[in-house]
Amino acid sequence: MSEVVLEIMGMSKNFGPVVALKDVALKICRGQVHGLVGENGSGKSTITSIAAGMQPATSGEMLFMGKPWKPASMIEAQHNGLSMILQEANTIPGCTVAENLFAGKENEYSRFGFVNNRKMNADADALLDRFGISYMRGKDPIDQYGFEDRKLIEIARAVNEDTEILIVDETTTALSMEGRDILYKIVEDMVKRDKAVIFISHDMDEIMEKCTILTVLRDGEIRGTVTSEEIGQLNSIGMIRQLMVGRDIGNKFYRSDYDPSCSDEVVLEFTNVSGPNVKDFSLKLHKGEIVGIGGLSGCGMHDIGRMAFGMEEIDRGSIKCRGKEVESAKDAVEKGIGYISKNRDTEAVILQGPIENNIVLPSLKDISKAGFVSPKKRKQLADEQIKLLKIKCNKSRQWVNTLSGGNKQKVSFAKWIAKGSDIVIMDCPTRGVDIGVKQSMYSLIDQMKHEGKAILMISEEMSELIGMSDRLIVMKDFKISKEFIRSAELSEADVIEYMI
Amino acid sequence: MKKGLTKDLILNHGSDVLGYGGVLLCVILFGILSQGRLFNAYNLRILIQAACVYAILSMGAIFIYSMGYMDISVGAQLGVYSIMLILISNKTGSLLLAFGAVLAISLVCGLINGYVAVMLGLPSIVTSIFLMSIFGGIQVIAMEKIGINSISIEANMDLFADVKFMIFVIAVIAIISVYLFRFTQLGEYVKSIGANETATEYAGISTTKWKVIAYIFFGICVAVAAFMLTARSGAAGKGTGTGYAMDIMVALLLGGMPLSGGMKAKISSSLIGAFTYVILSNGLTLAGVSVEVGYVIKALVFLAVILITCRKKDGVLPR
Repeated sequence: MSEVVLEIMGMSKNFGPVVALKDVALKICRGQVHGLVGENGSGKSTITSIAAGMQPATSGEMLFMGKPWKPASMIEAQHNGLSMILQEANTIPGCTVAENLFAGKENEYSRFGFVNNRKMNADADALLDRFGISYMRGKDPIDQYGFEDRKLIEIARAVNEDTEILIVDETTTALSMEGRDILYKIVEDMVKRDKAVIFISHDMDEIMEKCTILTVLRDGEIRGTVTSEEIGQLNSIGMIRQLMVGRDIGNKFYRSDYDPSCSDEVVLEFTNVSGPNVKDFSLKLHKGEIVGIGGLSGCGMHDIGRMAFGMEEIDRGSIKCRGKEVESAKDAVEKGIGYISKNRDTEAVILQGPIENNIVLPSLKDISKAGFVSPKKRKQLADEQIKLLKIKCNKSRQWVNTLSGGNKQKVSFAKWIAKGSDIVIMDCPTRGVDIGVKQSMYSLIDQMKHEGKAILMISEEMSELIGMSDRLIVMKDFKISKEFIRSAELSEADVIEYMI
Repeated sequence: MKKGLTKDLILNHGSDVLGYGGVLLCVILFGILSQGRLFNAYNLRILIQAACVYAILSMGAIFIYSMGYMDISVGAQLGVYSIMLILISNKTGSLLLAFGAVLAISLVCGLINGYVAVMLGLPSIVTSIFLMSIFGGIQVIAMEKIGINSISIEANMDLFADVKFMIFVIAVIAIISVYLFRFTQLGEYVKSIGANETATEYAGISTTKWKVIAYIFFGICVAVAAFMLTARSGAAGKGTGTGYAMDIMVALLLGGMPLSGGMKAKISSSLIGAFTYVILSNGLTLAGVSVEVGYVIKALVFLAVILITCRKKDGVLPR
């Protein structure tokens, strides 16, 4: 056993009456990639956020490099060699890349109060080169880069020579393939230099491949540890899943049938639609059909969803819902279209607000009588959905920002189920959601299909596209490159071929 | 468990605690300092007269502040409306006609702040600065044209200047705004817009439409407030309305309204805030504090409230 760099002893954390962590003991060793796995709300992020100084523990102690450890802030933690890359975006808009990289370090570059921008930009370029992200330059404004690139800048900012422990908290879901490779390289480099990495991810394949030791959490308690020898074994994923969920989730993960039939009634029709990121896209979505759209990020598939919901202009062609054109989001909702955005926290839910208000938001118009919205009816509608989707919460007035990722996503689904939308566009419906919730989402989608709803599922996850779709559209370079019909023989390799 | 309960109370109802606590503190403190004069019938009447305009304005303003927007044109609007009311009613002899004219203009202003701002892609604060300047200018020009420092209303305003009538107006506006804010789409949407405008739009709600409706309701409140102000003072001049825009902001803050808007907004904030602000001003005078020192004290109170309510405790900074 190599040297322990961070030791957590008897750590507990309560949020009011809710227990997030219960007497957790954990040792992080040098030269290891220590994976933390568990469902949403199992306490993974709570452990790391306490270690990184974002919040204090209710009780318990920590030893970092042999000394008692109680960081008061993330800044203090980072100064002492414990860096964390967060789930949420954390760059400063309106500044250059270099200014973001060296935020808080301007003193090293300034004389008489003036910042030496040239030197800072040069250093930033050198830093970016070292991480292999040379296509970004220090002088560029940060806003010209997308979410994925900004995440890389955060990584470059968090990791330096003195970093002893790097915490990667579900960062990979936000990254492109190339970005992931860069992150993996950093992780490998940390291991080589005998440092430690704590790795949190919902992607089991990634976890199995990258981690050297795994700790499984459930309901704030450690349920098991999986060593590197065990990780290699055949049935380990099944075993870990069972530890995470506390029951055997079995084989029924996606739909079990291979029947792609649906009604003949066309509910949503794209005819030669073109836009900035879409070329000549035609598609007929039928009642009771699940159409999956897959492709690499940037292939234009996300634009399709936004266009159908009236949130993005189309240059040519038409999108018709039951024969009538969709003009705006308001119009789309009135025509029975629901849209679950992939940017959950900014576009799909109101974090700073109660679950109830979120769920009833699109339906208010329907339940109001001459402008009057009955509080009883509202609550009833929200409570029904909370029960139906098993949203884990204390009461319907609880704020959404206190929920775990999976439950937030359930709220986002609940909005449209409550509204009774019969065409639902889902953009990355299971992003950042754990397997337990994923499974219930899939059975929900299946159930929606049988209720005659039409579903357009845009996803970056190949396995769920193949597992759920009646028809799978593959996009490449803004165009449809292939269409598959549901079958048991369809494999990921077949699909990938048409993506790249 | 009891400790947990207190903590929960402060965490989830911090703004309520602050609002109610503040008004209670003001009442007790100035009650003692003024040796009970705060509560005598004469002073209570003065308090209500002063609070009336603030209360009406801030109840309308809540709808705007809930969306995370501000309006700083209120003061100048009040001034012009007050002058208009007096001029038109003196000329035609009809108060109703005068009020109708003012109402019409205030609705146009609501449209400018709501619709035009969205159409031009401007933040509403910009259009409200524009309106403030225009109305400020009109007020000065009008008074210079008239050539005297202040004009008085000829109509008999005794009925409207009566405290009972004022309480009645406050109550009516309060009932309407509580109803709108809590039980209608308008109230729900303005809070949603303040909490997350994008998500609100993605829920299929026309944010522009509801913004305009919110501003129109605010416009009605401004017109009513202008009427009550005129009724109370019976005259208007160059300085009428000055300072009201900022006073409203302070009153709302004192009432526990978060300036960023959102789901924590409540109508009670405006009533509590208006009365706290008036009691604070009035109490300072009764306690023998000079007007100049009064300003300093009010500034300190303002700062303290901001520090308590708006400080970010969980800021996550890099490095």
